[in-house]
Amino acid sequence: MERLLELEHVDGGYQRTRPVLHDISFNVNRHEIVGLIGLNGAGKSTTIKHILGLMEPHRGTIKVDGQTIAGSPDAYRRQLAYIPETPLLYEELTLWEHLEVTAMAYSISEEDFQNRAEELLKEFRMTKMKNWFPDHFSKGMRQKVMIMSAFLLEPKLYIADEPFVGLDPVGIKSFLERMQEMRDQGCGILMSTHILSTAEKYCDRFVFLDQGRVLMQGTLLELQEQAGMPGADLDDIYVAVTEEDTHE
Amino acid sequence: MNNVMTLWQSRKQEYWSTAVKYLRLIGNSGFLFAIYILFLFGSYYYGRFLEWLPENFPAVLFFTLVFAWIAARGRVRTFVKQADLVFLLPMEERMKPYFRSSIRYSWLMETGWITLLFLVLAPLYSDRIGQAAGPLLLVLLFLSLLKGWNLAASFEEQRIGDETTFRMHKWLRFFVNAGILFLLFSGLLPAAAISAFGAAIIYYLYFRKIKGTLQWQRLIEIENNTVRMFYRIANNFTDVPHLKESIRERRWLSFIYRFVSYSRRNVYKYLFARAFLRSGDYFGVYMRLTFLGVIFILAVDLSWGRWLMGALFSYMTVLQMETLRYHFHTSQMPELYPLPDKTEEKGLIYWLKILGILQVAIFTFAAGNVLDSITVLAASAAVYVYVIYYRIPKRNSAG
Repeated sequence: MERLLELEHVDGGYQRTRPVLHDISFNVNRHEIVGLIGLNGAGKSTTIKHILGLMEPHRGTIKVDGQTIAGSPDAYRRQLAYIPETPLLYEELTLWEHLEVTAMAYSISEEDFQNRAEELLKEFRMTKMKNWFPDHFSKGMRQKVMIMSAFLLEPKLYIADEPFVGLDPVGIKSFLERMQEMRDQGCGILMSTHILSTAEKYCDRFVFLDQGRVLMQGTLLELQEQAGMPGADLDDIYVAVTEEDTHE
Repeated sequence: MNNVMTLWQSRKQEYWSTAVKYLRLIGNSGFLFAIYILFLFGSYYYGRFLEWLPENFPAVLFFTLVFAWIAARGRVRTFVKQADLVFLLPMEERMKPYFRSSIRYSWLMETGWITLLFLVLAPLYSDRIGQAAGPLLLVLLFLSLLKGWNLAASFEEQRIGDETTFRMHKWLRFFVNAGILFLLFSGLLPAAAISAFGAAIIYYLYFRKIKGTLQWQRLIEIENNTVRMFYRIANNFTDVPHLKESIRERRWLSFIYRFVSYSRRNVYKYLFARAFLRSGDYFGVYMRLTFLGVIFILAVDLSWGRWLMGALFSYMTVLQMETLRYHFHTSQMPELYPLPDKTEEKGLIYWLKILGILQVAIFTFAAGNVLDSITVLAASAAVYVYVIYYRIPKRNSAG
């Protein structure tokens, strides 16, 4: 299997003296959706910031498609699209302009941009709002803008931080279906979430984070085995292993 | 009750401690110096302006309208915040002393502003209507009392839920003010005093009887509008976090966007164009400073004064336009873009050049004769060249 994202023994955090992440190692391969699972404050968003290159690991390496960010920042960044937890929009740009400027930044050809953008707008039912400003958008619409901007790039690797928050059911469905489609085409997807029932249904593998450490990782079957809970669902396993952890 | 007053005190202090911080920043920049120079020129030309002003200038009407507007606008500073909708709503009954302090405080502040404005207009006042209308101090006292009445009335008035009725009250109050002030400035002080007394009675008979709960959303809006101007000015010198600017599309200017072609190198040109034209006050500041620059260049008839004005206004303009650079620093997304080095700086410089060339051309044209045109051109252009080719690249390599 081809590795798209590799984290090896990563320690990280805002201050060297007080690391938040401890020895994090996991991979995301092609044709795979990996769920990054953890409670609030488990270190999911910090892990993602390190992957994006917004924070630097104190120790260990992070590679996207075999490259580190220090080696070639442009090539590294171009491989991945990010869907943030809170939508980060430019208040002075219309929806269409958001898509356009993103496509420009990632060197998508103008023709590809037009075709993909129109299609995405239709799929996420936002064609009518094409020339609206974010001021008039609900939380869910804002999230859709971020999702569309990410899909527009057709990168190898998607990093999604709690992508469902605020989305309506149709939006969630479109998002997940497209994610699966991308996976089947050979993309890798890392999705952080604490909505475990959805994660269980759509993710191929899981990484459990707790207090900045990887608690467990593997497919659902592997996790059931490791926890000694055959047939249990993701919720139960997660609660059981984190409880165990706090008792220690 | 004690609680409520502690809250009031702490809110007031909180505001003033941030305000002082911003005021210090403004004071430390070159801005005050520029104002000072304008003041010197201004006071010289003020006298000449009064001489030039035709005899039949409707001074009474002018004073009436200006001060009626100043008096009628509501502006009770309540220091309320968005979150108060949740946390203070249940306390509304007990908030009376809080709001009484608000009105008293606003009255004091507004009296200060009225005094300032009146002093600025004082030469015009004594020149044209002073003799008829009476001594300055008495008129000031009258204006202050009238403002107090307006603040008290406007606070009761905001309880009216219906937007149209509310707006009608505001307009009616404006006309009442205008009527009273017209009497005052026409030299009919006793008549003005009697009608003001009548207004006071209306307050007790009508405004105090307005029923309804406080319109918190509206109070918050009034509060925000009142401080927005200050924050907006401060925002030109530093980043003001609680300033949420509304976006204006300005569709008639959208042809400008076509100058930026679809290309990776142009991402920041694309972003800055939209920030400049739609958000914050960049566009407004640019237009105002260019306009004022033209007025000053036209008004000053000394050659050295002209190029000094040209350089001064260009400098003030470019100082403000430069802040565009930080406009997108609050967003995380541009950091992730796979862009070549210096795309941001190049994008900024591209627009500064265009804005500079446009402004310098206008100033040069305003200077009129050939010799002054050349010096104005040289002075203004020098300012832009300094900022674009020296200051911005240097700052970038430092940071």
